[in-house]
Amino acid sequence: MAADIAAAAEASPPDDSVAEVLAQPSPIAAFWAAFRENKGAVFGLTVFGLVLLLALTANVVAPYSPVEQYREAVRAPPVWEAGGSWRFVLGTDGDGHDMLSRLIYGSRVSLFIGFSVMSVSFVIGAILGLLAAMTGPVVDVAVTRLMDLIMAVPSLVLAILVVAVLGPSLANTIVAVTIVYLPRYVRLVRASALGELNKDYVTAARVAGVGPLRLAWSTVLPNCLAPLIVMAALGVSDAILEAAGLGFLGLGAQPPTPEWGSMLADSREFIRSDPWIVTLPGLAILVTVIAINLAGDGMRDALDPKMRRS
Amino acid sequence: MLIYFLRRVALTVPTFLALMFLTFVAIRLVPGDPVEVRVGEHGMSPERLALFRHELGLDQPVWKQFLDYVWKLMHGDFGVSLATQQKVLSEFFTLFPATLELASFAMLFAVAVGVPAGAIAAVKRGSLFDQALMTVSLFGYSMPIFWWGLLLIMFVSVRLGLLPVSGRIDLINYYFDQPTGFMTVDALMSGQPGAFTDALRHLVLPAIVLGTVPLGVIARMTRSSMLEVLSEDYVRTARAKGLPPSRVIGVHALRNALLPVVTVIGLSVSGLMAGAVLTETIFSWPGVGKWLIESIGRRDYPALQGGVMLVSAVVISVNLLVDLIYGAIDPRIRHGR
Repeated sequence: MAADIAAAAEASPPDDSVAEVLAQPSPIAAFWAAFRENKGAVFGLTVFGLVLLLALTANVVAPYSPVEQYREAVRAPPVWEAGGSWRFVLGTDGDGHDMLSRLIYGSRVSLFIGFSVMSVSFVIGAILGLLAAMTGPVVDVAVTRLMDLIMAVPSLVLAILVVAVLGPSLANTIVAVTIVYLPRYVRLVRASALGELNKDYVTAARVAGVGPLRLAWSTVLPNCLAPLIVMAALGVSDAILEAAGLGFLGLGAQPPTPEWGSMLADSREFIRSDPWIVTLPGLAILVTVIAINLAGDGMRDALDPKMRRS
Repeated sequence: MLIYFLRRVALTVPTFLALMFLTFVAIRLVPGDPVEVRVGEHGMSPERLALFRHELGLDQPVWKQFLDYVWKLMHGDFGVSLATQQKVLSEFFTLFPATLELASFAMLFAVAVGVPAGAIAAVKRGSLFDQALMTVSLFGYSMPIFWWGLLLIMFVSVRLGLLPVSGRIDLINYYFDQPTGFMTVDALMSGQPGAFTDALRHLVLPAIVLGTVPLGVIARMTRSSMLEVLSEDYVRTARAKGLPPSRVIGVHALRNALLPVVTVIGLSVSGLMAGAVLTETIFSWPGVGKWLIESIGRRDYPALQGGVMLVSAVVISVNLLVDLIYGAIDPRIRHGR
């Protein structure tokens, strides 16, 4: 009998077209196919990839050290301005630092801040959000009220308060900006978890005797991930902007750290004489943020057409 | 209705209490001794130092200091600024009109440009104008506004000499009483020729800078909300019964599309306050944001503490107001809770 079936299977090999229909494309492939349609998103991702590459290879790519001061060439103009030379392609700043090297190393600092804030608030946000949604009203009210409080204080004002307490530094910038953006993640996870908890598959899992931790981690959380990932992607650019703002106010990364925002902090005095010192760091921030926003919007559209802004 | 109002108002009480606790704890955690900061480098005899501490209540147990703090806040006592010896509350109210004026003009700019532009983009979906506006909007909400301010100063004020670099009015040519604190209003009331125009000229750049991010958000929001509304049945009905397109779009569609836009405007108060810190710093605009930054630099903790409290109180109150208005307009929100 078994031999008969085996023989029959051998005689008629599986139909390719049927197999193709039955084989679902992997979620990642489906995502990529949708993402690729969006030209802006692909452009954003490409630019972001370049910035990331610069950040990773800064010590190879940058012509000079970002903190080395060339006293003989303070405020040297960039190569396209009168008096510029190829020695300092983008000129030097008020302390004789090479602008190009500082901008390249600056990508490292900004992306580091952006990704640190994103991953820390992602993890804490997921934990707090799931706790609020799943452990009962006391925790829920406590967490929700705390997040409401954080949201009530304007972002930069809260960050200023945190920095005033902890002192200005790169690490404290990350702490401050994380606190500012945490409520978004918590609220999103809480809301989507509450939505999922009513669904049949969660009840089924409960009935099957799945413990609370496992229920949260492997049943509920994966189903809340799509909007969370989109928010995390767009959160990187928000974090970079916020941190640059703190740096500009002198409350973020301290000199001589090559942080884009703090590079602009003292640039006001060069507005009349040396415009490149003012222009370039901001341009770096803008390009990076736009690239991330474009890619993030594309991710949203690709992950869930319902979430499209337009 | 009344129950909804009361419940919504009551919900802000714990938020205010928590805010008091937060600012209190935060300032306690600050390293460094505020008394020593105030004394400066000259030093002071231990007896006078102790007296000083007593005056500031710093010799009391912490829980008592907190209760004391809450009690004082309830009575409108936000402490005395270490730097200016002025009451924090009165200092705040002197500076707040400047911030409010700036924020209002910024929002005016964002709405006046963003709403019509977003509506046109939706009507002409896919057109060159639509694409251009979406690009501008992307730049708008991706903009590091402190840099944008520096750029505008560099080109518009310094290179072209069109607009003033900083401040609220030309203090050399114009001097008058400021009963309202709103420079444009006071300038108008002073009757001095040219004063009002000068005040407006000082407002243009800061308002554009502060309004840039809301402009990007509002334009995009109006567009997508308008796109949704344009495919509704009642718009088709309005078209079918032969109304002119301008009326269909301007009245039937836009009015309905504006609801989510109004929400966005209400929610952006917090963002405006955050942006005001940067904008005021760049343009030396004597408002609350610049004051907060200066307070940090001077280690003026009572001012910082009170300032954060008051700014947040403004935001909480505005959000509450928006919620209440919504409850009044839209019964679904009232009964939803």
